[in-house]
Amino acid sequence: MSKIQEVKEKVEIGKTKLIPGLVQEALDEGNTPGEILQAMVDSMSVVGEKFSSGEIFVPEMLIAAKAMSKGVDVLRPLMAGDTATSLGTCIIGTVAGDLHDIGKNLVSMMIESAGFTIVDLGVDVPAERFVAAVKENENVTLVACSGLLTTTMPALKEAVQTIKASGLDVKVIVGGAPVTPAYAAEIGADGFAPDAGSAAVKAKELVV
Amino acid sequence: MLTKRQNLMETIKGGNPDRFVNQYEFMNLIMEAPLGEMAGPGQTIKNGWGITFSWPADQLGGFPVHDEEHKVLKDITNWKNQVKAPAVATSDEAWAAAVAHANAVDRSEEFVTAFVAPGIFEMTHHLMSMEDALMALYEEPEDMHDLIDYLVEYELAYAKELINRIHPDCIFHHDDWGSQRSSFVSPEMFAEFFLPAYKKIYGFYKENGVELIVHHSDSYGANLIPFMIEMGIDIWQGVMTTNNVPELIEKYGKQIAFMGAIDSGVVDFPDWTPEIVAEYTEKACQECGKLYFIPNLTQGLNFSSFPGVYEETTKVIDRLSKEMF
Ligand code: B12
Repeated sequence: MSKIQEVKEKVEIGKTKLIPGLVQEALDEGNTPGEILQAMVDSMSVVGEKFSSGEIFVPEMLIAAKAMSKGVDVLRPLMAGDTATSLGTCIIGTVAGDLHDIGKNLVSMMIESAGFTIVDLGVDVPAERFVAAVKENENVTLVACSGLLTTTMPALKEAVQTIKASGLDVKVIVGGAPVTPAYAAEIGADGFAPDAGSAAVKAKELVV
Repeated sequence: MLTKRQNLMETIKGGNPDRFVNQYEFMNLIMEAPLGEMAGPGQTIKNGWGITFSWPADQLGGFPVHDEEHKVLKDITNWKNQVKAPAVATSDEAWAAAVAHANAVDRSEEFVTAFVAPGIFEMTHHLMSMEDALMALYEEPEDMHDLIDYLVEYELAYAKELINRIHPDCIFHHDDWGSQRSSFVSPEMFAEFFLPAYKKIYGFYKENGVELIVHHSDSYGANLIPFMIEMGIDIWQGVMTTNNVPELIEKYGKQIAFMGAIDSGVVDFPDWTPEIVAEYTEKACQECGKLYFIPNLTQGLNFSSFPGVYEETTKVIDRLSKEMF
């Protein structure tokens, strides 16, 4: 098996400790950093699909994302300035009044592995804070808002509408357990996804 | 008319109930037991384990704080130095209120019910954050087994005292095992780590006079039911509609009963109306039927987040009992 194939397989099953060595070996075999990164992005999308279909669970996903980030650590110094694979910056956060972040963090990892640069604002993020972050950061293409409480659905709506009203040229994707596609459309979001795997697919779709 | 207690037993044993068991009516919850500190609205507290909980006044509930400064368990491989169980309260004084309450209950009518929370899985993520806890199951399984054993030992010590003091008929035990769409961990991992822990805990309660184990997990969990049965759960409370409850009743009803099927999320919100409550409650009762099922909000205690929702649900269930029985 080629080293790059091995990187791909080991990311999928979250072999965190093996990845840095394997990535180095793949480089030594003559693969470019871009190719290796792409292989890991591909394995994360397999992971995302398996999570969406219920074949794997949260720990498997966390561990795969961690393995990938170990690989990215090896590649990063070699890829400085190489933005060819970047889909832009994604601002992500859980809306005001809501402190749940497990789902948001998974979505963040998957969107990152799809090729976005992530700026995570954390939890309990007021609407204006999303807008400010779009202005403060470079090349923001996407804002992702998470809400887990029925009581914070109005805050989700406010976040989306404040971002839209600011006139900034960004797409907004929303999600969280109580959010439905119909509700997402009603509050003016550009996209919705039911889980982290499909969030990455949708995010990509929105910006390219 | 059957007593609440008899009616519950008829329902879960597949006998002849004369009405629906109405939500938590069969449990007389002894909330006075010295279970440990909890944050109230507007408070930030540190509990006996050193876990900081914060409940901002304008929000719905409390939350464990997990920044680097507040996280109790920062390195699972060093848990023995970082996790110290508090002492179980053993003084007469600490238990007096709970004992007085338990003594005042007519046990032929209701179950004297001890409330136990958080559960073992919840304790692991309260100590170290959900992400760290879930990843540790993969990366440091031996340490996780040891930590879980330690948590179980503590619960058994508490259980011993609890049993001696109030002789509970029923345990209402929390441990959220999933999101609304899936269990947090795979069935295999659940069987490895949490099944043995709960076999010990629920086994101990049952050996010591507890008749009924009611477990709360307001989530998906259909994939864990064989383990729930194996560990001795009599009633799964909090079962969400994402589980297809009628199908589960059909398949497992004779071994475990289901309590819930009215998702709190869809009825318990600021703009709730009696019509919405009626709609979802009727749906639950009609689809799930009279045996092995207890209509109930999925919330883990006998109230709602928004005033009136719990009471309205009770009213609708009473009406449906008259219409359907
Ligand atoms: C774990 C949990 C907690 C943990 C959170 C730990 C943490 N760091 O996040 C703790 C114990 C701290 C907690 C606290 C509280 N919780 Co809570 N919690 C849950 C629970 C059990 C699971 C949520 C979860 O993490 N799921 C796992 C992740 C992976 O799934 P997810 O969040 O749905 O995310 C996925 C998708 O929704 C989607 N997604 C999520 N965000 C986004 C964003 C975008 C852009 C996209 C595209 C997709 C997307 O992708 C994710 C990954 O696949 C749910 C119950 C449930 N059945 O869901 C209750 C629940 C959400 N909590 C609830 C409540 C009420 C609270 C509290 C108020 C306290 C209480 N009384 O229980 C506090 C909240 C305080 C606050 N202001 O926020 C209620 C909400 C009810 C309601 N009316 O809405 C629920 C539904 C439980 C219930 N039935 O009562 N909670």
